[in-house]
Amino acid sequence: MSMTDGPTPLPEAAAAQAAADREAVAAGPGSSVTPERRGRPGIFGAWGEKWNALPRQQQWAFLIVVVILAYMLPLINPPIITTEPGNNFALACFDMARFALIAVGLNVVVGYAGLLDLGYVAFFAVGSYCAAMLTSPDSPFLHIPYLWTIPIAMAVTMFFGVVLGVPTLRLRGDYLAIVTLGFGEIVRILATIIPAMKGQVGFQNVGHPPGTEADGTPIFSNSNGVPWYWLTLTIIIIITLLVGNLERSRVGRAWIAIREDEDAAEIMGVPTFKYKVWAFAIGAAIGGLSGALFAGQVGFVNNQKFDVTTSILFLAAVVLGGAGNKVGAIIGGALVSYIPLRFTAIAEYKYLIFGIALVLIMIFRSQGLFPARQRLLAYGRTAYQRVAKKDGASLPSNGKPPTGLRPDRDREKGIQA
Amino acid sequence: MTLLEVEGISVHYGRIRAIRDMSFSVNEGEVVSLIGANGAGKTTTMKTISGILNPSVGKITFAGEDITKMKAHIRVVRGISQAPEGRGIFPGMTVMENLDMGTFGRKNRAGVPQDLERVFDLFPRLKERIKQYGGTMSGGEQQMLAIGRALMSDPKLLLLDEPSMGLAPQFIRQIFKIIKEINKQGTTVLMVEQNANQALAGAHRAFVLETGEITHSGTGKELLANPAIKEAYLGVG
Ligand SMILES: Nc1ncnc2c1ncn2[C@@H]1O[C@H](COP(=O)(O)OP(=O)(O)OP(=O)(O)O)[C@@H](O)[C@H]1O
Ligand SMILES: [Mg+2]
Repeated sequence: MSMTDGPTPLPEAAAAQAAADREAVAAGPGSSVTPERRGRPGIFGAWGEKWNALPRQQQWAFLIVVVILAYMLPLINPPIITTEPGNNFALACFDMARFALIAVGLNVVVGYAGLLDLGYVAFFAVGSYCAAMLTSPDSPFLHIPYLWTIPIAMAVTMFFGVVLGVPTLRLRGDYLAIVTLGFGEIVRILATIIPAMKGQVGFQNVGHPPGTEADGTPIFSNSNGVPWYWLTLTIIIIITLLVGNLERSRVGRAWIAIREDEDAAEIMGVPTFKYKVWAFAIGAAIGGLSGALFAGQVGFVNNQKFDVTTSILFLAAVVLGGAGNKVGAIIGGALVSYIPLRFTAIAEYKYLIFGIALVLIMIFRSQGLFPARQRLLAYGRTAYQRVAKKDGASLPSNGKPPTGLRPDRDREKGIQA
Repeated sequence: MTLLEVEGISVHYGRIRAIRDMSFSVNEGEVVSLIGANGAGKTTTMKTISGILNPSVGKITFAGEDITKMKAHIRVVRGISQAPEGRGIFPGMTVMENLDMGTFGRKNRAGVPQDLERVFDLFPRLKERIKQYGGTMSGGEQQMLAIGRALMSDPKLLLLDEPSMGLAPQFIRQIFKIIKEINKQGTTVLMVEQNANQALAGAHRAFVLETGEITHSGTGKELLANPAIKEAYLGVG
């Protein structure tokens, strides 16, 4: 199974990057399908317009500042934002990053391909167990350096994603949701009944990346969130760039078409089944990756952390942020983790609060905080350029032919024209 | 030369048989119409040819190749393209993105710009609206988009499921003119219609479908003149 069979769309690196940058903050008002919604930009919508109006250098500068601030976050420990004294802020940052990474992965499945996966926690669990069973002294298996478990966890969960996906992805909608829900439970139950997985006793002293401080304590210790946060943040950036590239490629177009109308996608020549399996497998690998990070940071894995409600929380993160938008997913994930850590008094009621928040968001902003938007796709873009060159005058773009590098920027005007 | 050959197919939905022992063929360069009342099995026939549904018995041959078991997305590569009933466009994609999706399965990419121009020539409205979301287009515009998108795969055989559905009378005439034009440019067309008058007038050959079976066949003119068909489908007699 090759993902990029057939002709690949034109990888205009610059255009792709520009699109990534734009999407990083943009949430344009034109993102939803129905015109009523389009007329209501919302707070983030106005942001999106301003963002699009900035020159590229400024967009880059802004992004660099955001990334630097993100790295500095646990060191700055900003007064009002901080989760202390209730929770150590650096550890909270790691937890936010972990959730964000999970949301990025689940977003591939739910947001791009439109596959409702209610058992995503299973992949997270498989990743955690991979890291634990290959590094913990409690494990009878061979022991390898922790960092090696990260790619292994990804490969193993990807394999599980395919194994689960092949029989189930022929199902649609509700059936798929129910089967994935079942899978989520199966992993947890297996962890309980298989002796080698040690049930509630679990695995202590899961490994961590190498390196020690001057005084001999490990850099990546359980109590120090900063290095773990930095590692996870770096991984998020890499994964987001990779996922962004996929999204803009032939694969991403196939996913969006499947989400919009699976039968129509099939008769356009999209091998829908294959691309659904790929979405599932890629999502699974990212889930496994975050599981491995989690296992390393906490240092302890047992069967108590992988229940259905956690799956629902992951899903809430994606829907909250805006299914189909990776930056939305990052922010959604971070928020879902942050709110109960920051407001410890209400932490007990977090499901109630997320429930209410989701209902409100569905009523007032049904596409999530950061709605997804499709941009002109690669082939469309070149073809469009050709047409534009032929008679730029007839195109609704203020007379000047669109460059093709800025398709979204012109789009709003085009729609109103 | 026979382009599409359907031999003795039956199609079931669970235990319901929607198509019974159907056989017909479409020759290269023809416009062939399939007419029939609601529930006669027209859409089922189209979906079986495009590969969304599978026949329980029978054989389908396209350009000499047995495609009975072939997946729908591979049939697109072979040259079968469908504008589905009720348009089936991608509502959250723009007109341009929809047209772009039409090229997903095609091998000859060099022809994309020409085909895009061809579609814009046939449907100038689409060109005016390239950035509009498919879901916000009017019903007739969506129909144009569905046909245009189907053409973007450079098909040998274009399947149209009720292209005149929900269109205003003056636009129905226009769409049949466009279908004729598409055919003249070299694409074989198989269409399904309730608008028997136009569909028969515009077709080289036609078949009448009643509860899953073909009951009449002939040239478009012959069927137009047939009293039984006049009575049942043309509202005369
Ligand atoms: N998914 C399905 N499950 C069960 N029965 C179906 C299904 N789809 C169609 N049918 C039945 O098969 C028969 C043929 O349906 P089909 O959609 O092919 O009719 P049609 O000729 O296209 O009708 P129309 O002109 O109303 O579009 C009908 O009796 C219909 O009820
Ligand atoms: Mg029908």
